[in-house]
Amino acid sequence: MRRIVRRLVDSQEAGLVLVVVLVTVLLTLLAGSHVDRRTGEMVNNFWNSHTLIQTATDASFFAIMAIGATVVIISGGIDLSVGSIYALAGVSMALALRAAGPMDDGATALLALGVGVGVGLLCGLLNGVLVVGLRVHSFIITLGTMWILRGIAFVATKAESILVPTSLTQIAKASLGLGGGLYPVPMLAMLVVTVIGTIYLTRTVMGRHIFAFGGNLEASRFAGLPLSRIQIGVFAVSGLTAGLAAFLGASFYGSTSSGDAQGYELYVIASAVVGGASLLGGKGSAIGAMLGAVLIILIRQSIRTLHFDQNYEWIVIGCAIIVAVVVDQWSTRLTARRLSRAAAATRAA
Amino acid sequence: MKTSMRIARRLAALVALGAGVACGGDRADRPQGDSARAAGAGATADDRITIAVIAKSSTNPVFLAARTGAEAAARDLSQKHGITVEIAWLTPPQEDAQVQAQRIQQAVNDGADAILISCSDAGKVTGAIDDAVGRGVEVMTFDSDAPRSRRFAYYGVDDLKTGQATMAELARIMGGQGKVAILAGNQNAPNLQRRVQGVREEAARHPGIQILGTFNHVETPQDAAAEVTRVNNAYPDIGGWAMIGGWPLFTQTLLTDLDPARIKVVAVDALPAQLAYVERGITPVLLAQPVYQWGYVGVETIVDKVHFKRDVPAVIPMELVRVTRDNLGEWARQLRTWGFTDVPEAYLRM
Repeated sequence: MRRIVRRLVDSQEAGLVLVVVLVTVLLTLLAGSHVDRRTGEMVNNFWNSHTLIQTATDASFFAIMAIGATVVIISGGIDLSVGSIYALAGVSMALALRAAGPMDDGATALLALGVGVGVGLLCGLLNGVLVVGLRVHSFIITLGTMWILRGIAFVATKAESILVPTSLTQIAKASLGLGGGLYPVPMLAMLVVTVIGTIYLTRTVMGRHIFAFGGNLEASRFAGLPLSRIQIGVFAVSGLTAGLAAFLGASFYGSTSSGDAQGYELYVIASAVVGGASLLGGKGSAIGAMLGAVLIILIRQSIRTLHFDQNYEWIVIGCAIIVAVVVDQWSTRLTARRLSRAAAATRAA
Repeated sequence: MKTSMRIARRLAALVALGAGVACGGDRADRPQGDSARAAGAGATADDRITIAVIAKSSTNPVFLAARTGAEAAARDLSQKHGITVEIAWLTPPQEDAQVQAQRIQQAVNDGADAILISCSDAGKVTGAIDDAVGRGVEVMTFDSDAPRSRRFAYYGVDDLKTGQATMAELARIMGGQGKVAILAGNQNAPNLQRRVQGVREEAARHPGIQILGTFNHVETPQDAAAEVTRVNNAYPDIGGWAMIGGWPLFTQTLLTDLDPARIKVVAVDALPAQLAYVERGITPVLLAQPVYQWGYVGVETIVDKVHFKRDVPAVIPMELVRVTRDNLGEWARQLRTWGFTDVPEAYLRM
């Protein structure tokens, strides 16, 4: 038991959990309260089931995409096209459902999920193949596909906003017995994807290969790892998670358009980086990505809950990202210096 | 050491949060004015109404005008009725219907009594509006409606007629002949789509008018002005612009880039920055939406509905005001009365 606790405390994410808890406690203390319209009781403006689940829901779409983005970042790459993949996957799903016509709820959900995730996966594979085949940095490739994929979505829909069947919304907004106005499905999806992402990165051969690839490319090459397959695979995962987030988002909000998720790639990358992923590669985790997304949304929520000028939102989030990355780099340099001093001391001995 | 460094990293992010929160320390989005507070002194919970205003974007001047109107109505009604009307400005910094849906939920969670919203995408916010109504929060729309939602009222122009009127004015000025481009803002906005439809329907009644195309853009003045310039260069024989929103006229750049002898322009909206275009004859006609009234009438209607429990009409039509050189001074003075401080002095004296 002590060993488990020790492992948890020493884990990469322990600090982030602490910060999330601290921010939550601070918000609860400072939030104030209001009279609940239905029960007549005083309710804390932040610490109530509606706000907590709403915050988790807001974070869930970014978190799911951030887990995929983290996989790319661990490999030393970057994916700027996730927002556009989200838009294209969403409209593809809506167009497919429209073309298929009325179906029973199960078939509707399966078709929607299949198309959403499938389009996301295809877009990710495209990114990977272009990066490997053209030998151009992923920043440039995904910058280009960011435009291309959103443009395809725009042309395919003629800029129209498309409603999705209400059966999908009923699934995404199922209360699961929690009562009126509470929709835990996106939050639960986020948790499930986090678990799967953690297992993938830490317990599978491919996961280990990704860390090796990102940590030391030359060593991976000499070790005979399938470098091209790894690189294509990470982008496929990123696209897949973007497609899944699109399925969830379109179902939850009831419609989709080519304008969806504009600028979301910045939130997604920020979530991954705040969650501990290193842009140099070789470091990151699914849990960290999820917690990073939750923290960024908590920051956004705090501005709202505390009724501060929302125009400062971008400034605050930007500052938090820079600070987190700078301190992370500082700690990496300190660790490297400590290790080299220890190695020198061992040699001297 | 490793753990403490990680914790230090995370706590540094928390410090940044604290610094940012301190920077944003003026509670700019909460109740306005001493009059509201004075009127509210001693008010009970029943005498306090919080109205969340969620426009499309807080970088668009027309919605800032709506905010001014809403806050003025809050002050006036607070003083008049001895109640406290509070405005919570929850408009996203840039258009994003998903964020609007999230803001609706946040407003309900924060205990708002009502929501006044201009919908970036009716399909995306209808569910959130219905949820809000289901939780006892009244919702009213303005400018861009969500007609299939459970909102209790909509205040705004008839967008189809607005588009038709824009094209009718332009056709008259162009003598019924020439090539026309439509400047249309956000392609996903349902109200703008209907205005475009209105423009095209009216254009079809003028056989000499040819529509070159509908040109969309990010709804910032700079992006809109850049789009106009791009299209003018791409279509040298363009004869007129039907601008279903006034976005590019919030910049000064088209004062020199548009030749009124060659290109005629009719636009919707007439805020102070646009008046120079009327004076110089670049836009002989502006069809003004009294955007200040979005906020003022919206808040008035909500107070009538929520506090006084009065019946209100489901659709409250807004009439356009035709602004030309003849009534430019009168319109400028009206803008000043509505609290616009940037109206050029020269127009106030006309």
